[in-house]
Amino acid sequence: MTLWRTVNIGIAAVIMIVGLSSAVWAGDARLELSKDSTLETVLKHKTLRVGFSTFKPWAMKDKDGQFIGFEIDVAKRLASEMGVEVRFIPTKWDGIIPALLTGKFDIIIGGMGITPQRNLKVNFSDPYEFTGMAIVANKAVAPDKSSLKEFNMASTKVSVRLGTTAEKAAKNFLPKADIRKFSDEAASIQELLNGKVACLIASNPLPANLVKKYPEKLYLPLQSDFTQEPIGFAVRKGDPDFLNFLNNWIKVTNAQGWLEARFNYWFKTDDWKSLVE
Amino acid sequence: MPNNSKRITSLDVLLLAAISGGLIWFAYHIVTQLNYSWDWSAAPGYIARFDKSSQQWKAGLLLQGLIVTLRLSIWSVFSALIIGTIMGIWRTSPRPLLRMISGSYVGLIRNIPPLVLIFIFYFFLGDQIMRATGITELSYSLNDKTSPVLNVLFGSVEQLPAFLSGVITMSLFEGAYITEIIRAGIESIEEEQWEASAALGFNRRNQLIHIILPQAFSRCLPPLAGQFISTIKDSSIVSIISIQELTFAGQELMSATYKTFEIWTVVIFLYFALTFPCSIAVRALEKKMNKQKNL
Repeated sequence: MTLWRTVNIGIAAVIMIVGLSSAVWAGDARLELSKDSTLETVLKHKTLRVGFSTFKPWAMKDKDGQFIGFEIDVAKRLASEMGVEVRFIPTKWDGIIPALLTGKFDIIIGGMGITPQRNLKVNFSDPYEFTGMAIVANKAVAPDKSSLKEFNMASTKVSVRLGTTAEKAAKNFLPKADIRKFSDEAASIQELLNGKVACLIASNPLPANLVKKYPEKLYLPLQSDFTQEPIGFAVRKGDPDFLNFLNNWIKVTNAQGWLEARFNYWFKTDDWKSLVE
Repeated sequence: MPNNSKRITSLDVLLLAAISGGLIWFAYHIVTQLNYSWDWSAAPGYIARFDKSSQQWKAGLLLQGLIVTLRLSIWSVFSALIIGTIMGIWRTSPRPLLRMISGSYVGLIRNIPPLVLIFIFYFFLGDQIMRATGITELSYSLNDKTSPVLNVLFGSVEQLPAFLSGVITMSLFEGAYITEIIRAGIESIEEEQWEASAALGFNRRNQLIHIILPQAFSRCLPPLAGQFISTIKDSSIVSIISIQELTFAGQELMSATYKTFEIWTVVIFLYFALTFPCSIAVRALEKKMNKQKNL
């Protein structure tokens, strides 16, 4: 019987210890949460790791191999105001969310449009910029069209970049069309130029730039963007501290007019063209 | 008896005409049928360009990618050879446990598509290994200026964890093929060599080191060389985990400039510039070894 009692007391003691310590853990939950915040990790390592994908003029490499672009400016300013170094980690667009989730970098600053599906996997900051979808068509394959309706036919082939909001926009606005997906922007453009597809859906300023470059082959069927999409920073879920910092940074920077000035420089002017080509 | 005289026959002329005709038709097709405005003006700059402000030559984006490819290939070939040799010896070992380990290694790796293997390793295993070995922490504490040696050997510190998981996956993957090459080499050595060396009082370890492996390696050389060259080309597959090697650099450049065909052409040329000298070196080595055999 002594053995039985010893075992019983032992089990009771273990249960009590576990119970008590879990109560202590619960009390520390808030502390733990803020300690685990990406914000703390970034400050501790003095490095902000930024994931992005090459996407002209959001982010690209110049002739020397340095990263330039709107998002690069945003990331640099964000890091400098946090007092940390910035580390750029170029990543393929179709793998960028898994790379964020598995901790290859701390934040996606890459012109990522906020969508409910993406939001199920990551947290988004408030939008710091807006972009619109536009359509650019091949003159030989799909001549003289001026509305989305005219492209919404089973016989119309549409090219988009895989995993972008353009893919979603194509599905929503042209449900009947035959949508071709490409993992690289350049491939989707080449299909359009070769006349294998009738049109390309992409966020501006790409369609406008393409028409400027190939005026005899391409044209813009619509005069204005057909969507208005919010762009936000993407971070891992369950990190209110980091999100709070980012949202307020956006408010402050927006109020200073800095974001708009940079956006105009990269999207409305050609002053930076000589850096790339 | 092969005909070694170097005479040009009418068949040769016909073949040459057919091949060049095909090439010209192909080139014509590309130029006329493809809606593409060729622009080669920027292409040399992708390899190297003269920087006016600092008065020195700078590597272009594609050359930088080529250097990463070279680094990746050298490390992968080196460690794949080590893995392959050990596993190859184990494959032929009299101990069943060793045979089983190496057998399942080859069976497992060779039957997974490399793309899947790389994804699994990068997203699930790579991180754990890099964190456990402290390499992730290390990459934070270092920067490019603190360690020029590390920079030359492994590339920029920022890319170190990704680069290492690329190298590990590549060497695991190539190692499986090298295992089988080494095994074939060892098994091709005649039974008498084993018996004779055993008669000299060598144990199995010394038999392998002094008698069997030197002969096996010289027989393995042609397929091994092929495997090395294919490693250089296969390294393009790690572009999917965003290691900035030649293919990745090319794709980045394409999304910035939209000059698809020019850049792919330069990329092909650079890969060829890397692999063709390897082929020549191997041929020279084989010739030298054959000469020694005949003496």
